[in-house]
Amino acid sequence: MKETILLGAVAYDPKVVTIWEGIRDYFNESGTPFDFALFSNYERQVEELLAGHVDIAWNTPLAHVRVRQRTGGASLSLGMRDSDRDFHAKVIVRKDAGIASLHDLHGKRLAVGSRDSTQARILPLHFLKQEGVDLDRVQILPFDTDLGKHGDTGTSELDVLRALSDGTADAGTIGDLVWVQQQAAGHVDSARIEVLYTTPGFDHCMFDALPTLSASKREGFVRSLFAMTWDNPTHRRLLELEGLHEWMAPREEGYDSLIAALATAG
Amino acid sequence: MAANPELERASAAGAIAVDGGDLPLGGGLLALIRPALTLLEPDGVLAILSRSKSVDADLASWCRAERHELLGAEAAGDGTTRYLVRRGRFGARRTQDAADAGLPKRADAATGFAPFGSVVEPGGPVYPFDLVERDRVLPPEVTELYEQAVAAQWNAARDIPWSKVPRLEPALELAVSQVMSFLAENELSALYVPSRFISRIHPSYVAVAMFLATQMQDESRHIDVFLRRARATGSPPAISSATTSQSLYSLLQIDDFTESSFLLSVLGEGTFLDLLAFVERFAPDEATAELARRARIDEARHVHFGLAHVRHALSHDETLYPRLEAAVRSRAATLAGIGGVPAPVQDGLTIYAAGGSDPTRVARGHDAFRELLVTMHEGRIRRLRSAGFTDEQAAKISDLHTPNFM
Repeated sequence: MKETILLGAVAYDPKVVTIWEGIRDYFNESGTPFDFALFSNYERQVEELLAGHVDIAWNTPLAHVRVRQRTGGASLSLGMRDSDRDFHAKVIVRKDAGIASLHDLHGKRLAVGSRDSTQARILPLHFLKQEGVDLDRVQILPFDTDLGKHGDTGTSELDVLRALSDGTADAGTIGDLVWVQQQAAGHVDSARIEVLYTTPGFDHCMFDALPTLSASKREGFVRSLFAMTWDNPTHRRLLELEGLHEWMAPREEGYDSLIAALATAG
Repeated sequence: MAANPELERASAAGAIAVDGGDLPLGGGLLALIRPALTLLEPDGVLAILSRSKSVDADLASWCRAERHELLGAEAAGDGTTRYLVRRGRFGARRTQDAADAGLPKRADAATGFAPFGSVVEPGGPVYPFDLVERDRVLPPEVTELYEQAVAAQWNAARDIPWSKVPRLEPALELAVSQVMSFLAENELSALYVPSRFISRIHPSYVAVAMFLATQMQDESRHIDVFLRRARATGSPPAISSATTSQSLYSLLQIDDFTESSFLLSVLGEGTFLDLLAFVERFAPDEATAELARRARIDEARHVHFGLAHVRHALSHDETLYPRLEAAVRSRAATLAGIGGVPAPVQDGLTIYAAGGSDPTRVARGHDAFRELLVTMHEGRIRRLRSAGFTDEQAAKISDLHTPNFM
């Protein structure tokens, strides 16, 4: 009798239930006993993973880096989405704000996303500092919506976009996925808002586990996960809901900038 | 750039170009890029000419999100940049195969309501269509029959000379009302029975569903005119006999499309052709003759479809003969114990053909009714033979047909 893998995920949207119930059914049908538990925030999820109450956690980059640090780098990284690789953040500006370079942000109003959003706040501000922008001279307009969800809901990024549209901000920080998705959906007035700066790439979510995860659970999880394909209609629906085309092997170098940003912030 | 072997290999899969002018990515450029990419094979390369400076940053992000690959950008003079995008393998592709393919022998229920010939993205649900075999569903004549049906629609209010309905002697009036009400009751079943199959027919064979929709429209109109005539002169109500109800109930129980088409259209509506000819021939007035004539023309089309359906299915499946015969037997078994034609119908048709209650005329009406039964039997045999049954099978099946006519 195989042991059941218990996965933790954060319920940032009702679709999370649909996604994980679908993946649970698929895993069980493919011979990997599987169940999931939903948490209301990533802080709780990280603690429960570290306490051994769940086997695997589907983590944001911020949660992933915390798990790495709390386990002294011993945690297991099991996989990520293709869309988690080479994420970028953007600094977008109103065309009428007179911002032609990053230094023009000084004295301007910069809308930023939630303080626990890697793509909408932590990393864009980190890279702006690296580029020589003095954040003390920028009027930061924070949108701390959905704290604990680490930016998953995208709400704070939409808040940033709205602030630019209605003129309450001159510039804003936003993840590239929300930015192109909003453009592709026709929700951005390209005549008024454009990209000023794109950050270097960084990686996003990761399946984390403790090093004590049994080999059979680990192998079962990885085998079933990577057997999901876009060409299978059942899988495809789940992949689309979760925002990926295919699962990818884990890699750690994509989190270096976030680790550095968190170290600087103290 | 052509010196880059990677690019040369990529271009071999097909390359096309779009000129995006000054359009930003989210300001209309995607409406040029996305359709162009759907024309390419995976790995095919799209060249995008753009003079919008924001495209540089946005195109890379969009390519990442869609799993296309931005191969590079080069100045093309005059402030224009040429971007090369290699198409990924995930999006829908407009292959000509989909448009060129003939109707499949077996349709895929996961293509849902997608019009046949379109490129169907995978990932949709499997629809509950179970009539998915072309040769069991789609007779070759169906398109022509549909066009005929559309051209032959008529108007129940305008096309019948209702002002020419006279007052008749009470016995004849009652007979007219009884016959018209009986016709309406049967046509109600002919309205409901096809509706059970439309939602089961795979949309690749939508021509059949469309034909059945015209059939249902025809039946609606017939119900309308028969009931108008039945109620035109305020005669006492007609009787709906238990025999009719049993017979129509058994028709509604049949789940197999071909068996249903056979029993309803070939046998039932076929028999009704002779009944409607009778109603027209002995009609007491011009309006009644005209509505019977028009209804019969419609019914002939339904019979034609039923014959085409059954004939086509039989030609692809020999085992269907005994199954159709079994369906007739099994229906006859559920109607066992039922005598002949329901008495109110028999009496109504006799007085109707007699044109009144005078005994000498009634004798003629009775003969006409007996003659009708013979005509109906002969007509059924003729249609069964045309569907492909032997003389012996045809005679047996006709004998087993419901005494309710439908």
